Amino acid sequence: MLILNAVINGIFFGGSLALLAYGLNLCFGVLNIIHFFYGQTVMVGLYIIFTLTVWLHIPLIVSCLVAVAVIAALHIVVHLGVVQPLLKAPLLNQFLALASIMIILENSAMGIWGATYRGVPISLPVLSIGELYIRTSNLIAFLGCLVVVGLLYLFLNKTYTGLAIRAIAQDTEMASLMGMNPRRVYLITLALVGVLAGVVAAFFVPIYAVHPHWGGTFTLMAFVIVVLGGLGSLAGGLLAAFIIGVVMMVASFLTIPEGGPIAAYLIFLVVILLRPQGLLGARVRA
Amino acid sequence: MLKIEGISASYGELKVLHDISQEVADGETVVTVGPNGAGKTTLLRVISGVLKPTSGAIYFDGQRLDGKEPYEIVDMGIAIVPEGGRLFPGLTVYDNLKAGSYTKRSRREFKQSLAEIFSNFPILEERHNQIAGSLSGGERQMLAIARTLMSRPKLVMLDEVSSGLAPKIVTNLFELVKAIKSQGYSVLMVEQNVKKAVELADHAYLMESGRLQFLGTKEDFIQSPHIKKAYLGI
Repeated sequence: MLILNAVINGIFFGGSLALLAYGLNLCFGVLNIIHFFYGQTVMVGLYIIFTLTVWLHIPLIVSCLVAVAVIAALHIVVHLGVVQPLLKAPLLNQFLALASIMIILENSAMGIWGATYRGVPISLPVLSIGELYIRTSNLIAFLGCLVVVGLLYLFLNKTYTGLAIRAIAQDTEMASLMGMNPRRVYLITLALVGVLAGVVAAFFVPIYAVHPHWGGTFTLMAFVIVVLGGLGSLAGGLLAAFIIGVVMMVASFLTIPEGGPIAAYLIFLVVILLRPQGLLGARVRA
Repeated sequence: MLKIEGISASYGELKVLHDISQEVADGETVVTVGPNGAGKTTLLRVISGVLKPTSGAIYFDGQRLDGKEPYEIVDMGIAIVPEGGRLFPGLTVYDNLKAGSYTKRSRREFKQSLAEIFSNFPILEERHNQIAGSLSGGERQMLAIARTLMSRPKLVMLDEVSSGLAPKIVTNLFELVKAIKSQGYSVLMVEQNVKKAVELADHAYLMESGRLQFLGTKEDFIQSPHIKKAYLGI
């Protein structure tokens, strides 16, 4: 029964991971850039929510909305200032530029908020169903992330802008010959990716206390999920997010807390060795 | 309608187009033929805005279009079927067609355009949920042409529509181009299949090594000794 509990927690955790991976995948699929500081932007989001709610006594919901807007704006600024000018630059330059932003964000957080853990004290009830114990905060994060993934899916599949995002991911030049403006679509994509990071931060508020190096773990985990699912495959990312979530929770439960990440990364290594394109990564560029 | 004045273009150091002037009148079909590497495709890339010319000017309906971005040019009413079709292979047939009607002008008429396309190409309606990459060669080219028509263009540019396809499919495609022509579209076509292409043309150009060597009506063109000897094998 307790193991079932771990599985359920893993699935809940997977929901948030799926949203993170979705953002990373969009970024890679559309702009062909590796978003190195994705977890760090979630970290900044958590700090913003902490500052607004705990220090300035602004209602939590408002703080969360502000955080989403700020993270989206941060992405737009980074896009216009760094990503766009470097789109055709050598890979190593892009890599180092985006990694610099990661360092800047982490050290800024350290300077502003210090090294201590910062969290918003929210205590949500724990639901118990028989022998199962479900933390409401995890349940809310899971349901919330699923709703956002669903909305994102609808946006990508039902709107002209979503179509442009998908078309540009396949063939930028051809998309521009259809009337799509790649620069505009890049900007929208980055803003969207920022919104996703902000939403994840909002759902993480009742679950995590944040410190300046908190983001790195999530950046790496999101990467692992994206690669495991198959780079560019949104469905693969979703599947991989739940696999990693469940593996981490179950392994931690069965062994020691550190066993979770160890098991997840071992599985990742095995998949990457046996199936380099990832689980659902059969995509071929024409 | 389309007026090209002294266009030159280069890929880096390599000059591929030299002082090209060409015209397509309203409702006319103009064909540019010539050997591989003559610069025919490059000329279409320049017109569609993908490649910027180094000199010269292009006018469409009196408006200058060189220097504009591809997405602005398609909005003006010039659409291209690139060589090989260049579909979005991972998108469905339906989404490919929808992408064709992306411009503001054509978006409003999406439903009507789609109905027309589906009645002209029933196979595309049948396969509208299928991934474009899974279509056969002929179907892909058909979809590529249909996608272009979805933008409600005034001028359709066709880049080597027949290349790499079986003879029977090529014949069908040329029938299709004929149908497009008869619907009143202006057509600018680039072809290696000289015989078939020139048959459709009101005017034909011969391009060799980035220069226009011959211009004439269909009749003049077929009569020219050079063209007879080099391209028609008569």
